[in-house]
Amino acid sequence: MTPPLALTCGDPAGIGPEITLAAWRRLRHELPFALIGDADHMAALGAPAGVPVARIAGIAEAAQVMPRALPVLHQPFTSAPVPGAPDLGNAAAVIAAIDRAVKLARAGDAAAVVTNPISKKVLVDGAGFAHPGHTEYLAALGGVARPVMMLVAPELRAVPVTIHVPISAVPALLTPELLAETIRVTHAALRRDFALPAPRIAVAGLNPHAGEGGLMGTEDETVIRPVLGALRAEGMDLAGPLPADTMFHPPARAGYDAAVCMYHDQALIPVKTLGFSVGVNVTLGLPFVRTSPDHGTAFGIAGTGRADPDSLVEALRLAHRIGRNRAAA
Amino acid sequence: MIHAPRVAFAIGDAGGISPELSARVLADDEANRGDMIVIGDARVLAMGARQAGVTLDLPVLAPGGLVEGLPNGSFIVDMANCDPGAVTPGAASETTGRAALQNFAAALRLAAVGVAGTVFFTPFNKHGMRLAKADYVDEIGFINQTIGATRSGREFNVLDEVWNARVTSHIPLRDVADALTEDRIFDALRLTVETMEGAGFERPRIGVAALNPHAGDGRNFGDEDEDILRPAVERARARQMAVTGPIPSDTVFVRAVKGEFDAVMTMYHDQGQIAMKLLGFDRGVTLIAGYPFPIVTPAHGTAYDIAGQGIADTGATFNAVALGRRLASRGAPRTQTVSAADLPGLFDGKVEFAPVAG
Repeated sequence: MTPPLALTCGDPAGIGPEITLAAWRRLRHELPFALIGDADHMAALGAPAGVPVARIAGIAEAAQVMPRALPVLHQPFTSAPVPGAPDLGNAAAVIAAIDRAVKLARAGDAAAVVTNPISKKVLVDGAGFAHPGHTEYLAALGGVARPVMMLVAPELRAVPVTIHVPISAVPALLTPELLAETIRVTHAALRRDFALPAPRIAVAGLNPHAGEGGLMGTEDETVIRPVLGALRAEGMDLAGPLPADTMFHPPARAGYDAAVCMYHDQALIPVKTLGFSVGVNVTLGLPFVRTSPDHGTAFGIAGTGRADPDSLVEALRLAHRIGRNRAAA
Repeated sequence: MIHAPRVAFAIGDAGGISPELSARVLADDEANRGDMIVIGDARVLAMGARQAGVTLDLPVLAPGGLVEGLPNGSFIVDMANCDPGAVTPGAASETTGRAALQNFAAALRLAAVGVAGTVFFTPFNKHGMRLAKADYVDEIGFINQTIGATRSGREFNVLDEVWNARVTSHIPLRDVADALTEDRIFDALRLTVETMEGAGFERPRIGVAALNPHAGDGRNFGDEDEDILRPAVERARARQMAVTGPIPSDTVFVRAVKGEFDAVMTMYHDQGQIAMKLLGFDRGVTLIAGYPFPIVTPAHGTAYDIAGQGIADTGATFNAVALGRRLASRGAPRTQTVSAADLPGLFDGKVEFAPVAG
């Protein structure tokens, strides 16, 4: 039996709290998780929604509590959260919840960390947060320099090699070292986390038509192709560089387990076009398992009941599956 | 006397599915409204009819016959430029490439002189065209050269009710950011609006895809979205165009499909092509606009893997013909007659290609 998942509250003025309640309703008999957040806040929110909330003393209790109430590891907020109106005073508690989840996962008490969305701006202004983003912060906590992001949609896993950078910076950042490392991390994760003993990876070209033999850009021939050649020699099953506009068709997708893409939108466009509300992010290469929904805090609709919990539900399911695969390995 | 704009119809690459698609268009009462001037080898069309299992009864004119006045109804101008015996189904060749280029050039010239109001062609194969004409890059360069256009047209992809226009296309990704200027984006928006109005959209709503991830995330991931795209969008809005953006490019197509936009303006090739192809763009139409007449073709290629089997889907092809007619300038053709001077080289069956300038 794998341990429960540690779910962080994210920004409590965003949609995190309400989608957490909805996720508990769907998953209470399927898998255990504990929310790290303010138990009083969650109890007040859960009452009108008919979701009982139970404050637990340790995450191990989550499995037993889960079927009858949402288990919460109490992490008090300074001020009562108001949906849609983020409060800088709560920034420190939002960060503390992340820290605590990571500690639990690294100690083996939690099978994985699942994170609700944060607002980087709120954390910067409220707590002097000095990291480029959520994922980078988790990487720092895990002592990892370059985390790898995988987007998981129902029919596609996609890994961008460069992530939150301008398009104009992508070609220079796309070094053989970064590409090789990203493919290696992806390959290892497919084996270990997704239980695929012989992963097949498709690698996108950088330029239109993958450069068409150098007619439209050189990097596909000078950077990508040599890296793939070297990694194939190590025994990896790699296809590419492939024209990015024809590698996401259903028949093409049937031929690989993950697509490695050169930049953020090259990976995100197919993922979101294929399954907008059910994408999940997985951070690869960390010393613990981490998944998250693929949306933000959505302050604009927080508290209106319009938030869609599907992505969080899938993030929890995937974290649980990965935890099980690692335990079985 | 024909009173509606004619369709100049170039038969594409004979090694692929173009022959059977051409035959199916001509055999269909909805697609063929008796207004088509088919340009190609009559034997290739007959081969297509056999592959498709349709019967065609089409007047055949020699190229020189055009000067004696155009017949009523659809007919074929027999270019006699592609012996089916020399065609290998599923393979590109210089013969099929050259014939496709000749057919295309003739169709463009017929439209340029005003005999036809739109040009439609069945799929080309670039490899074959390059075997016949080494400096062939893309349709737009060839059109400029063939009709002497000084200003390049633009390519649009039309899928059901979503259009995609792009600011840059076949250039290296590293050159994209530098190629984007406020003027260039604004011009692209204006041409898109004008073209869509011509297609019957009253006030087309256009979503502009951001260049950088998360539309630059407030300048964290690049300044172009704020400094170049946003001013272009604001300029268009000041001129009463229904333009929104920049919008993160991973969500703009989803919003368009849900009905929020009629068109998406993308900044680079794969940004639009990945989404459009996933959305089923094989059913879609490629439109080249910005010339005195619209040029349309199915978005899919020659489909060499199923060439000659008579099983090609006709959806995109019929959609292309319909869009060309919809966009053709209204009213009767400007002229019903063609002179030899209008169509240099056509009458002796030798359409020569000068190198593309620049």
